[in-house]
Amino acid sequence: MLFLYRVIKFSLQDIVRNFWLSVMTVTILLLALFSINTLLAARLIGTSAIAAVKDKMNISLYLTADAPDNQIMDLKNQIAALPNIKTVDYISKQDALAAFRDKYKNNQAVLSSLQELGRNPLSPSLMITPSDFDQSNAVIDSLQAIDSPIIESRDFSDNSLILNKISDITNKVNEIGLFIIAIFILTSLLVVYNTIRVAIYTHRQEIEVMRLVGASNQFIYLPYLISAFIYTLFSSIIIIALFYPFLSLIQPYLDSFFAGYDINILSYFVSHFALIFGGEFLAVLIINFLASWFAVRRYARV
Amino acid sequence: MINIAGVSKSYTKKIKVLNDINLEIKPGEFVSIVGQSGAGKTTLVRLLTGEERATSGRVMVGDWDITKLSRREIPYLRRQIGVIFQDFKLLPKKTLSENVAFALEVSGGTGARIAKIVPSVLKIVGLEDKRQRYPHEVSGGEQQRAAIARALVHQPKILLADEPTGNLDAINANEIIDLLLRINKFGTTVVLVTHNKEIVNRLNKRVISMDHGVITSDQERGKYLL
Repeated sequence: MLFLYRVIKFSLQDIVRNFWLSVMTVTILLLALFSINTLLAARLIGTSAIAAVKDKMNISLYLTADAPDNQIMDLKNQIAALPNIKTVDYISKQDALAAFRDKYKNNQAVLSSLQELGRNPLSPSLMITPSDFDQSNAVIDSLQAIDSPIIESRDFSDNSLILNKISDITNKVNEIGLFIIAIFILTSLLVVYNTIRVAIYTHRQEIEVMRLVGASNQFIYLPYLISAFIYTLFSSIIIIALFYPFLSLIQPYLDSFFAGYDINILSYFVSHFALIFGGEFLAVLIINFLASWFAVRRYARV
Repeated sequence: MINIAGVSKSYTKKIKVLNDINLEIKPGEFVSIVGQSGAGKTTLVRLLTGEERATSGRVMVGDWDITKLSRREIPYLRRQIGVIFQDFKLLPKKTLSENVAFALEVSGGTGARIAKIVPSVLKIVGLEDKRQRYPHEVSGGEQQRAAIARALVHQPKILLADEPTGNLDAINANEIIDLLLRINKFGTTVVLVTHNKEIVNRLNKRVISMDHGVITSDQERGKYLL
């Protein structure tokens, strides 16, 4: 108990006597944590946006204009029975025209052209939504294999292009995110290592005297490890106090930018509080401990 | 008390800092080790405190075989041996009393023990009135006395003094030697490493002379011969 009391006392003395060094360490940890959380929020926005787009992605199978209803229903049922299909909706020529008019209601040129044509030029179609976006290519392959005389067009090249682009973007976002997080972790490790090294350098005389008068290895090492714990605790508390107001500030902008999509990073950070901040606390603590351990082993050898 | 048998120390294959040293120091002895710079005196002290390991041979301090000591055991050895240096090694931001207490604090001494021992060792070295002063507020001789007080808090059986008068004028140097003699009278073995001829000749105690890593003479009541 006395040992623990003295180790904590020496650690606190160390933090207070090197006040600006301590402030610098906590600030750098804060910057690293803020960057990691911002990156996490950016990834969350990116993946949520991609998921929303994926959810709205569907494949249209265009049918001949004179296709009889019973054959259309047979084809619809046949496709619905295929694997990886979520829904199959029939869009009649009239529905397609109504949707077209609605889409271009502010574009007089398009509407005039339609008027000029004097007939409904649109084909009926089946709108197919895959149960899993990543299975879209398998669904397209199945659709290509269907042999039916009422199918007018089965050119899915645009879909494949979009699918590949979205997958590509998702993979790139993940790769870049992981790369940046790895850089921040490495930077934090080096910064903490150097901070502890400077602290030990400024205390080399005290450490030398400690060694001289028979202080145990633990007594020399532990104050620095406790300092590392205190730095981690402070930086974690401050990042929580700073990041939630920051999220509250940017959430209204996200709401207006992604109107119609449910992307709420504030509620995500609230519901995943323990996982995000607990995880970050543990990760920074492990980094700090490792950095402190290497620094004391290297510079405070007994 | 101290038994050094066939000890050699080298940092490179060609240069031996110590070469086949054989030495026995009995409990309660006052021994001066003399020699020019580079003779190997300080290396010998560092072997005794466990800061260096002998390349070959055996170093015994009491029952401790230092050549076989693990890193974990070294702090316990250092609590049995008091060491003082030419540059005092006091902490500038602590008072003399705090400097002395620090040695007990880091080795787990209780508050009651610290409160009892610190004033008594400060009294032995004659610093009871200056215990609240900082090192820069006292003379070099008083700083060295504070360092001796710190070395005494563990009541060591051996006191190693590595050039303790090197930074002091003649009056202060003689006061420190007198203090070491008094400590020796209480039964503590004192090993004084020095190249101060006047002090060694005045002591009229055992003198071990070293040159280029070997012992060149060992006189029971010797003089500075180099």
